[in-house]
Amino acid sequence: MRLFSLILNYCTLSFIGFLLLLSSCKENDNPPVSDFKPTPYEIEIPYAFPTKLNIPADNPMTVEGVALGRYLFYDGRLSGRTHPDSLMSCSSCHIQQNNFEPGIDNPHFVGGFVHGLNGQQTHHVVLPLINLVWNSSGYGWNGSFFPDNENPNFRNIEDIVRASVLAPDEMYGDTNRVKALFQSLDGYPELFFKAFGSQTITFKNIEKAIAQFVRSFVSADAKIDRYLKGEVQLSQSELNGFILFTTEEGADCFHCHGGFGNPLFTTHLFYNNGKDTIFDDPLDRFAITNDPMHKGAYKAPTLRNISLSGPYMHDGRFSTLDEVINFYSHHVKLSEQVDPLMHHVLRGGVQLTPSEKADLKAFIATLHDENFLTNPAYSKPEKFPDED
Amino acid sequence: MHKITWAGIISILLIISACQKTDEPATFGQIAFEVHHEVDGENLNTDALIYTNGAGNRYMVTEIHWFISNLTLIGADGSHTEMMESSEENIFYIDTDIEESWHIKANKPIPAGRYSGLRFTFGLDKTLNKSHRFVNPPESFMFWPTYLGGGYHYMKLNGKWINTLGKNEPFNFHLGIGQEYYEAGKTNEDFYVFGRSDNYEHCEGYLPPENLSPVIAFIHNNFTIELPLDFEVKSGQTTQLDLVMQVEKWFNSRELYDHDQWGGAIMQQQAAMEMGCRNGVEAFHLRRSN
Ligand code: HEC
Ligand code: HEC
Repeated sequence: MRLFSLILNYCTLSFIGFLLLLSSCKENDNPPVSDFKPTPYEIEIPYAFPTKLNIPADNPMTVEGVALGRYLFYDGRLSGRTHPDSLMSCSSCHIQQNNFEPGIDNPHFVGGFVHGLNGQQTHHVVLPLINLVWNSSGYGWNGSFFPDNENPNFRNIEDIVRASVLAPDEMYGDTNRVKALFQSLDGYPELFFKAFGSQTITFKNIEKAIAQFVRSFVSADAKIDRYLKGEVQLSQSELNGFILFTTEEGADCFHCHGGFGNPLFTTHLFYNNGKDTIFDDPLDRFAITNDPMHKGAYKAPTLRNISLSGPYMHDGRFSTLDEVINFYSHHVKLSEQVDPLMHHVLRGGVQLTPSEKADLKAFIATLHDENFLTNPAYSKPEKFPDED
Repeated sequence: MHKITWAGIISILLIISACQKTDEPATFGQIAFEVHHEVDGENLNTDALIYTNGAGNRYMVTEIHWFISNLTLIGADGSHTEMMESSEENIFYIDTDIEESWHIKANKPIPAGRYSGLRFTFGLDKTLNKSHRFVNPPESFMFWPTYLGGGYHYMKLNGKWINTLGKNEPFNFHLGIGQEYYEAGKTNEDFYVFGRSDNYEHCEGYLPPENLSPVIAFIHNNFTIELPLDFEVKSGQTTQLDLVMQVEKWFNSRELYDHDQWGGAIMQQQAAMEMGCRNGVEAFHLRRSN
């Protein structure tokens, strides 16, 4: 009996010693693997939204991954530099209160046309970051990043992160420098551990964290959402606009920009919407598919929060929604490539009257989601991990 | 307690083995259809201005997206065998751009034996055609606006034709729920009193804009047809058949459909959709796969 308790005591002691060893490890080195327990991040599917999500199998979303991604998205040192003039991050061009676009009145980017750290303007204007987890057909104006791309470097938002760090017209950075810089910043290695199980920062994990954060951006709380759920009524003018939006004899927008059955307010597909007759942009949809019928075709962007997304179209040719509506009304141009869905083309457009235009605009305003623009979960963190 | 359990297990085992012994050799097979889109007997060539319809319109087709539902095999003895476990699953979206969508396969064993044809619904019938049935693309992109009756497009057949001015004009031959519009002489109040149709809930509360006439009723344009073909499903084997849509027949089978008459958009022209559907009845046939 005595011997037994002695043995027991010995075991207890050595166990305590083992625990001590473990905890000392914690202070000096990587914590034991058992501490790596990320919490799955669930995207709640809003009313009538698709249930299929575009999340790569090797980057499941976690609360810790999204939290880390939030810091990186807003940290100007993502450019790999620390000089105040050389800071740039995603948030330099994708600003929350502007629907994650620069905004047409951006103080740094005149007219909303952005340029990279070296001053070079981007080839196309910025796209909003909104409900992107529901897009499986391709990111970018021409859809160059899509899941089953043969080129594994152009498949998803992870790849866009790398592309924008490297691009001369964006951060013009160097991935090795970026990861070394974040490795040296207090607090970041711990956050990488929590998200990915290793304090050693890799650029892959930087890509993954930011992509997770961007996938968490959900806008589904506009007036139209509450109307579709039957919670509010639209005004007479908004209703008129909705009917115009969803009828062929009206403004005829729904085939490409959604409606009751497609509350994303985009198909994320590519169309030539009849702006031009000569197509010489080397980065249109044709550049991806090589199908000559796709010349001058671009992605139809979502119309959610569209009033903040100017300048409009891939080249930013229109600065107001009125100009856009006038274009669809009277200035659509015939070409071999114009999409058949633009069937009003021979009349120059859908020929809306001034009061119809006002109704259409009133309807489009119901796609405005203020809660998305101010949601604290998507906002800039109060301070970065290395700040006290 | 134990005894009962053992007795139970043993008797179950006995029953199972007994069944196995008396069971006939498997009497089920499988059936699969491959969908073909053809014009004038040849595979459809999209984006090529090489076709002429009965009304003399030169035209091209850019894409066809459509739904087929309620697929049922007709037995030689007149019996009916649904292709799928449930009618909710018995809806297929077919898209000329998506090769996987051309293959339709039963999801349950099909009794072996002789059959005399296939019955199906083009589009979605009244029970199936409900908004938000599909939330995922590409099916969700087929939604039919609520103001026009809701549910889904049965078909989007898009293309261009050379119009009377010699111009390349787009057409959207879109079929779905049709509408009957209010005619002069009745007031908005009348509309709300007698305007209740089956699908009216879609439009509850709508007051149409001034220059749009109010909808007073909806018409379900879907149709169900039987395609005759003698074929056999052999036990343990898959019978492979071709389901062919003869695209030109939408425009010239029973009546001549003239794009110059109807223009590029017909979702709000019930007469055009009706004519299209009358022609559509003749637009399909079944054949053995080579
Ligand atoms: C210099 C400005 C700039 C910076 C910085 C920038 N972007 Fe962008 N972003 C753009 C532009 C311009 C486009 C549109 C590019 C195109 O398709 O031609 C774009 C497009 C995107 C898209 C595609 C959206 C869609 O709907 O297809 C995503 C996702 C994106 N950016 C994420 C990011 C992330 C994440 C970062 C930070 C790692 C970032 N961007 C940094 C300018 C910027
Ligand atoms: C045939 C499909 C199609 C139809 C129909 C259509 N659009 Fe578009 N829309 C597009 C495409 C494609 C783009 C992007 C074109 C580009 O960037 O060059 C676009 C761009 C826009 C933009 C600018 C988006 C941005 O972020 O810059 C607005 C606003 C817009 N459309 C509104 C409408 C309205 C309103 C209607 C109905 C009157 C309509 N669209 C009808 C395909 C369509």
